[in-house]
Amino acid sequence: MKPAGTYSGILSGGISGRTGPHLLPLARIKKIMKKSSDDVKMISGEAPIVFSKACELLIEEITKRAWNITVQGKRRTICKEDVASAVITTDTFDFLVNLVLDSANSQDSPRP
Amino acid sequence: MKKILPPNAKISKEAKEIMQECASEFISFVTGEASDKCHKEKRKTVNGDDVCWALGSLGFDYYAELMKMFLYRNREAEGDKVDNNQNIKAAVSYTPFSFNVMPG
Repeated sequence: MKPAGTYSGILSGGISGRTGPHLLPLARIKKIMKKSSDDVKMISGEAPIVFSKACELLIEEITKRAWNITVQGKRRTICKEDVASAVITTDTFDFLVNLVLDSANSQDSPRP
Repeated sequence: MKKILPPNAKISKEAKEIMQECASEFISFVTGEASDKCHKEKRKTVNGDDVCWALGSLGFDYYAELMKMFLYRNREAEGDKVDNNQNIKAAVSYTPFSFNVMPG
């Protein structure tokens, strides 16, 4: 069951005559989209905006789950292992499992 | 991330970095699915509807529903520049939590 706050936030936060400010940079989203597949030739203007909002939801969900794990461990700082556990225990995040396991296993993951 | 956590919560630098990687992977994953759809339908442009469809196809049904609503509102706002605030207020008037101001 999802909190109503998320729903209302998505609809009201981004609409004010025009779409409001986005938390994630649209240019970078577009770049990632183009890199994802050779078949991606053209991207409509609204696609990165949809992804910006969808990523907000994703980050919110993972963060909440990770925080629950942090609290269970009687800690107040979310560490990457908490994020990894949150991803591994959620079925819809299966595609992220290898990513978080690789990241958790590597001692120093280089930043691109 | 901090927006939805209690004020005493902290997030490690590594946690933020891995979250960023997750978001990038999510975009790639969903875009791949949306792009396949466009390719099969012999279209060149990946649009918002394709992204919504891909979200639903990959198990993110809740996200897909919200994004469809968001797209609908966005297109209305872009097309007519109508003030949607009244409609949005009506749509979200039911909230399970309402914090009333304490009487003075």
